Amino acid sequence: MKYFVTRGELTVEVELDGDVVLVDGRRLEARLERVPGTPEVRIVIDGVATTLAVDAYQGSDLRLIDRGAVRDLTVEDERTRHIRLLAGPGKVVDGHSVLKAPMPGLVLRILVAAGDPVTAGMPLLALEAMKMENELRATAPGVVGAVRVAAGDAVEKGQVLLELNAG
Amino acid sequence: MNPRPLRRVLIANRGEIALRIMRACRDEGLETVAVYSDADRYAPFVRVADRAVRIGPAAPVESYLRIAVLLEAARASGADAVHPGYGFLAERAAFAQAVDDAGLIFIGPPASAISAMGDKTSARRLMAAAGVPIVPGSLAALNDPDEAAAVAREIGYPVLVKAAAGGGGKGMRVVAAPRELAAALATASSEATKAFGDGSVYLEKYIERPRHVEIQILADHERTIHIGERECSIQRRHQKLVEEAPSIAVDEALRERMGAAAVAAGVAVGYRGAGTCEFLLASNGDFFFLEMNTRIQVEHPVTEEVYGVDLVREQLRIAGGRAMSVPYGRLVPRGWAIECRITSEDPANGLLPSAGLIRWMRAPAGPGVRWESGVETGSEVTLFYDSMLAKLVVHAPDRRQAIDVMQRALSELTIVGVATNVPFHRALLADPEFLAGTIDIQFLDRRADLLAAADDAATTMRLAVAAALLADDRRLSRRGTVPAAAPERVASSSAWAATARRDALR
Repeated sequence: MKYFVTRGELTVEVELDGDVVLVDGRRLEARLERVPGTPEVRIVIDGVATTLAVDAYQGSDLRLIDRGAVRDLTVEDERTRHIRLLAGPGKVVDGHSVLKAPMPGLVLRILVAAGDPVTAGMPLLALEAMKMENELRATAPGVVGAVRVAAGDAVEKGQVLLELNAG
Repeated sequence: MNPRPLRRVLIANRGEIALRIMRACRDEGLETVAVYSDADRYAPFVRVADRAVRIGPAAPVESYLRIAVLLEAARASGADAVHPGYGFLAERAAFAQAVDDAGLIFIGPPASAISAMGDKTSARRLMAAAGVPIVPGSLAALNDPDEAAAVAREIGYPVLVKAAAGGGGKGMRVVAAPRELAAALATASSEATKAFGDGSVYLEKYIERPRHVEIQILADHERTIHIGERECSIQRRHQKLVEEAPSIAVDEALRERMGAAAVAAGVAVGYRGAGTCEFLLASNGDFFFLEMNTRIQVEHPVTEEVYGVDLVREQLRIAGGRAMSVPYGRLVPRGWAIECRITSEDPANGLLPSAGLIRWMRAPAGPGVRWESGVETGSEVTLFYDSMLAKLVVHAPDRRQAIDVMQRALSELTIVGVATNVPFHRALLADPEFLAGTIDIQFLDRRADLLAAADDAATTMRLAVAAALLADDRRLSRRGTVPAAAPERVASSSAWAATARRDALR
């Protein structure tokens, strides 16, 4: 499994294969051990352990406490990143844009209704694809226009899911 | 003096110092009364106390600063003494007087000593009269260049030209040599006229890169002694961040000279209990009185560690009319102690105070480590009070080892929920200049780099691996518990499945 970890301006690609980790062209052995009853995790890299605390982990946003310092990161798997990059709003026509399905799948939930104001990053719709649930998010603020699908609908790649008008 | 034994002490303070005082009371066999604002209802210091009295809303002016309410709490709880801690009302002569007038014992100096030291200009005159060195200079306006030159010659170059009405560095000039004096007087005076509408200037000796070194004193009804120095040069905007005892810049002879000056200062104002004389120490060994703090200091533990004296217990003994328990004769510091103030200031956010719930905390321990904290897991950090959460104090045979013990202790400290200045302490303790001890009160002005939360490529790599492992761990635990196939998805909306899903995500 491949993950993209972003810290500030920098994105690092980390590939996991069992205990083997490929990062930045280096091959390491790494594993994670949770410390029950605490927010702490032990990260063992090539036999050397460090303890970190997980302050918060919601969606892709991860806040770690590392040796007293607060570290904010975002972490996405390859597919989530791919979908996020694909699911940017479609062509803007006459001040409105459309959200298209980035891949074939099943609509699980519609999280907004026509007329709802949305901010950038707000989840709009949950789509199941490749047996995983994916949240499609707004990439810019606006107002939800027509919702073209319903929960339970199977959708094709590129199908318009909902419309977004400029706020 | 007739001993008037204490029985029940009300602590008119909060946080770590309230807890510290209550522990000393316990050790002395005294009962304790906590007072608390609404924000501190569940604070550790309240739970440790034998009795606790609510005194008002979170804002200090509505709680910890209300003299009448505090005295009423003392009366209602049957306290016979009041310890003010530091900050809040600790250096208000009116509070000491009110406690006294209410027939209670104020655990601190007499009100007259607090007011004598409270007015900085009168304190300066008092100290000069008592033979305590003050920064040489002339407080009278000195606009005539010939007169100024004579004064400058007397106090010695470099001198500082200062605006009499001044402040904030305006109208201030450093003069290194006599030939620069006339021009400096003219520009400083014109700057002062523009800034303050008053062109009067005066001269003061300019002390280059001074250290902040303070002397602990202790006075009972028989004697006034000094208990060595603390070096507090690591400051940011006049807030001390790291203190040590002894000072790398003070040898035994200087310690005795500074100690004698501090004792003279205490005697001059009829001091009782624990107090501190702050001095500027120049690189040539000259020292100058800054001010006296007529209370227990935040950084008192470093003195306690190297001298084996419990200053708060001594305060309690002296207030109860007993003699201090410190032996007669010369006191010698043993080893080295350092204190790091752990504050809720976020280095990643310009060291602005951060607030929030401490969701989890692990305090350091082990040989040479002392943890004085006002917070624990579950504590709410608000913006109503000082940002200091705790003090981490270490004691080791020498300075280098103390620094190593501090690094070890900091590496064991984990606070989850609010950002702290721990990264600053770690950077400072690894800095070659700090390790060499070549510090002064402007050190952090020059070394702002230490205050930013810097990190390196190795850290980024480690964090990236950790983040990927955590993401994978979450993915696998989700997959294990959350049904993915269509028919089961209906079930996933049931409460059972929702609970299982929440658990999986935790």
